Amino acid sequence: MAKQVLSFTVNDEPAEVLVQPWDTLLEALRERMGLTGPKEGCGTGDCGACTVHFDGKPIASCLLLAMQARGHTVRTIEGLGKPGALHPLQDAFIRHGVPQCGFCIPGVLMAAAALLTENPRPSEEEIRYGIAGNLCRCTGYTKMLAAITEAAGATAGRRS
Amino acid sequence: MASVMKTTRDVKGIGLSILRPDGPDKVTGQVQYVADLNPRGLLHAKLLRSPYAHAKIVRIDVSRARALPGVRAVLTAADIPVLKKKAPTRAHAVLAIDRVVFAGQPVAAVAADELAIAEEALDLIDVQYDVLPVAADPLESMKPGAPPVAELGTEADTSEALAHGSVAGVTTEAKSSKAVNISQQARLQRGDVAKGFAESDVVIENTYRVPMVHQGYLEPHAVLAQWDTAGNLTLWASTQGSFNTRSEVADVLELPENRIKVIPMECGGGFGGKIRALCEPITAVLARATGRPVRYVMTRREELEAGMPAPQVIIKMKTGVKRDGTLMALEAEAILESGAFSGAVLAVAGVFLASLYRWPSFDVQGFEVLTHKPSIAAYRAPVAPQTIFAIDSQMEQIAKAIGVDPVEFRLRHLQREGDKMANNQPWLSNGAVEVLTRLAEHPLWKKRAEWKASSKDGKLRGTGLSLGGWLGGLQPTGATVRLNPDGTLQVLTGQVDIAGTNIALAQIAATAYGVDIDKVKITTGDTDVAPMTGLSAGSKTTYTVGVAVMQAAENARNQTLEIAAKELEASVHDLEIDNDKVVVRGVPDKGITLASIGKKGNLYMSKVEPVLGTSHPAFSVQAPAFCGQLARVEVDPDTGEVTLHNFVVAQDVGKAINPLQIEGQMQGGAVQSLGMALTEALIYDDQARLTNPSLLDYRKLTSADLPSIETIIVEKPAPHGPFGARGVGEPPIVPAPAAIANAIEDATGVRLTHLPLSPERIALAIAAAS
Amino acid sequence: MRRFELVLPGSVDDCVKALAQAGPESKLLAGGTDLLPQLKNGLLKPARVIDLSGVPRLRAIEPGNGQGLRVGSAVTARTLELDRAVRAKYLSLAESGALVGSVQVRNLATLGGNLCNAAPSADMAPPLLALDAEAVVTGPKGERRVPIAAFFTGVRKTVLAPDELLVELVLPNPGARSGGSYLRHTPRRELDIAVVGVASQLTLANGVCTKARIALAAVAPIPLRATAAEQALEGQAVTPDRIKRAADLAVEAARPISDQRGSADFRRHLVRVLTRRTLTTALARASA
Repeated sequence: MAKQVLSFTVNDEPAEVLVQPWDTLLEALRERMGLTGPKEGCGTGDCGACTVHFDGKPIASCLLLAMQARGHTVRTIEGLGKPGALHPLQDAFIRHGVPQCGFCIPGVLMAAAALLTENPRPSEEEIRYGIAGNLCRCTGYTKMLAAITEAAGATAGRRS
Repeated sequence: MASVMKTTRDVKGIGLSILRPDGPDKVTGQVQYVADLNPRGLLHAKLLRSPYAHAKIVRIDVSRARALPGVRAVLTAADIPVLKKKAPTRAHAVLAIDRVVFAGQPVAAVAADELAIAEEALDLIDVQYDVLPVAADPLESMKPGAPPVAELGTEADTSEALAHGSVAGVTTEAKSSKAVNISQQARLQRGDVAKGFAESDVVIENTYRVPMVHQGYLEPHAVLAQWDTAGNLTLWASTQGSFNTRSEVADVLELPENRIKVIPMECGGGFGGKIRALCEPITAVLARATGRPVRYVMTRREELEAGMPAPQVIIKMKTGVKRDGTLMALEAEAILESGAFSGAVLAVAGVFLASLYRWPSFDVQGFEVLTHKPSIAAYRAPVAPQTIFAIDSQMEQIAKAIGVDPVEFRLRHLQREGDKMANNQPWLSNGAVEVLTRLAEHPLWKKRAEWKASSKDGKLRGTGLSLGGWLGGLQPTGATVRLNPDGTLQVLTGQVDIAGTNIALAQIAATAYGVDIDKVKITTGDTDVAPMTGLSAGSKTTYTVGVAVMQAAENARNQTLEIAAKELEASVHDLEIDNDKVVVRGVPDKGITLASIGKKGNLYMSKVEPVLGTSHPAFSVQAPAFCGQLARVEVDPDTGEVTLHNFVVAQDVGKAINPLQIEGQMQGGAVQSLGMALTEALIYDDQARLTNPSLLDYRKLTSADLPSIETIIVEKPAPHGPFGARGVGEPPIVPAPAAIANAIEDATGVRLTHLPLSPERIALAIAAAS
Repeated sequence: MRRFELVLPGSVDDCVKALAQAGPESKLLAGGTDLLPQLKNGLLKPARVIDLSGVPRLRAIEPGNGQGLRVGSAVTARTLELDRAVRAKYLSLAESGALVGSVQVRNLATLGGNLCNAAPSADMAPPLLALDAEAVVTGPKGERRVPIAAFFTGVRKTVLAPDELLVELVLPNPGARSGGSYLRHTPRRELDIAVVGVASQLTLANGVCTKARIALAAVAPIPLRATAAEQALEGQAVTPDRIKRAADLAVEAARPISDQRGSADFRRHLVRVLTRRTLTTALARASA
């Protein structure tokens, strides 16, 4: 049961990291790579705090073994945008005063970003279902909806 | 303590929706929570927890676990001499000594190089239990002869009520001799209840039940502990009160408080559940035993099985009124199930039940009952949602029964400022009437008949509202405000920011000193450096720490002006702060910059004292805060599914220091209230084992279940609040259960008295009624 | 999670070999949405985990014989939800995929995982029962086909031997005048588990129902068909009265228990409501 080499792409850069066979992708990112943006809120895929993009799609990174990511592409909140070059969603979340305790926010942003990639002009209902896998206990989701709606206009506008 | 400002211009301070400074860090994943810390040499902790709710521990053998490579420590109660059998609080019950009293109670602790090794070590600990009879139901548990929960002679824990500082004048009695599991009881009486009922035309009786619910913070409990060679302990904690954590850990481990430094990390939600120490003492002991930093992060399953949820509350209520609506008598018995350790805010329940409306006679009894379940703690306005659910549901039914408008009925009988509460304390200034009036003016309320009539496709539509509140907490605190050499201000408190309060405090400092908010930085210091302060709980951070910050800023301002007066050879009374300088009123070119005053306070050989404003107030006057909520629903009578079309929150905040943050509090609190109303319950089997220990089966509401929450901010100034502000955090969690129950009855004709108002309860009640 | 050895096969043959070597001490890992929580909670402690994510054949959706469809066991719920071929003729299966967990879970959870985990509440089982699907199973003795109605043997039990692997599901072509629907009841709209799930499939010819299928989840140890209810519709014109009668008969097929997700009474009540609703929708879709 020796450590194995995980080769994959993380936030646009190739990465090689030693992981244990039983490490989840979330643990590998957080404990072995220092990418602590994705959070563990439940460990069983029921809260969305660990959401990352896996080949562009949102997944619960607590439910994937790290080695299952071999050869795949992963994006975490650290790769969504940076200060000075924020993703429109991040910018909208700040301006709408969305984050309170902040623990759910990286997961919500990754779910919302994936939604807007698939569906640049989502309806309110599509947004509500798009982030329904992300539990938030502070905000009541209201400001989140407003921020995502606004950012959807911005990203859709940017594309066209 | 409303303050008169000497400033002639408006500064960017209170009243503005200023963004929290931590927004950018939070949207980029840079904010650090405890579990994000990964120091060199870190060990991981796991706890072996009892599978039984009540059992004698016959034998524990840890030898196989200790022998597993990678395991650095395996501890049982026998290894921790300071532990006492009569644990006065949950925090003291670090590891079970010879008896477990709830399923999930820690029995042994492991620290290992890897989490997987720690988990395997748990499998290798052999515990022999003698299973004992279980008290799983509070109504059974309060009877004589029930299996005892606490060790004989353990005292009731009323510190939670004190922490929330909510009710004076109610004495809770020690438990009666026969019923071993009644740990507190209280009674509030006035007038002749029997006569009141005899003279009543309409008597309504109900039993209301609210199950145990979990605070549901997204970040599970987590702590990192490390000792230095001199014997000082540092705890990186997720806590609502770092000084309280320090005191509890010091008490449990018999350490001097100044040997413990608590560094409050970003708290990923608390809502009352991170007030009391839980896993901090055992993590500290593991770190001492191994000489290494030890991190313990609870799993969600552990949070649900062995956290500190809100009590189950069962309220039997009987009311009598005259046909003309005159209130006559109220009788109520409230049973608060507090799990394996005492700690419920019993007095609050009694006061709420009989104080909201003008009952000429009442008899309210309260019992705190122990059972073999995890002990409870505060949850945002502890027991207010449960008691308001009962009293407001009852008021709605009375209004219906005598055929009067439910809002007018409530307004007619609502207690006003100066009226005597059930504990004979006078009601203080509050906005209950204003809040309810604003809701009644809302188009959704005015058009409720049209909404009901628009029911179609077999769905049923209805509208309901409810009013509730919170009395407001108090706790001494402190703050300092420094003028830096560049003219900026530095505010320091020890207050943990769990609700966006730091930006509000910074705004208060800006306005009180007389500079714009962008000149102010606020820091929450650790327990070694910050002024001692209380919990971030009880809706009192802005109300109390706000006063400390305001006074400290005024103090700093006065020091600044005195220095300026000397420098400018002017009278202090002629000076004012204008942007970044102090000027002589009417002589705009005569002035001195704040930077130069700040610099003089930190120059080598300078004789100018540095500006350091301080304040460390204690408080005696609470500020009750009320919230009203209105729901427009549609019910599928076949499945019992409730679609929430609109939800409105109106709340008296005294003065909105930061409207944006307040809206966030109102919206988030409302959704917690709706979760309690619609879906949330910790469900136990007859052996007191939790049957739904996951976030799949413990159902917090998702974005797909909700509409956007509309907010109406009402401002009735609190006489003693900073700039008139009141507490904001707790009131919005109170009204939704009654509002939804009232709306469901409006839609379907069915009255439900047990939470959650689940599809099953609704559909089966409709089926039974038709 | 406790420690285990991880095997990473690249083909179905490699999987079969790995299973043969590791035997009962091993667990197959597909999407992980059921297995990982069980590993984390210590309910399962396998010495060896065999990861199926590197086996392309298990992810394929291909045309089958007679315009049917072959759906690989590692096809995700999200793919079922969105795939054109699935949506075109097997809408109830797509609907069941769309209801699982949340989008983060649906991008991981697989059809095979949902079936092999064999929870009574498995959402994808009722549509497959209603569609007369067959499971293709492989092992050291070669491939065999199992009708989905014979696949489940008990709570969390299937016909799979410890050394066998579910490769794919074969869906027969239901025909042009056929329509299906899957509905479930959950207290929340997303991120939940079925209190009751019902799939209905109706095939029509000349205004008469030639084939009716009604399948129920979470009302018995295994997902099951309500055959008496089906028979009450076959050979008849499907009228509201007959739908009501079929819903009553479906209730009789249910053998629900009471648990924390719902009482037996409520489950029976829901079988009636959801059978009526899915039959009504299936009829409309078959008639369209």
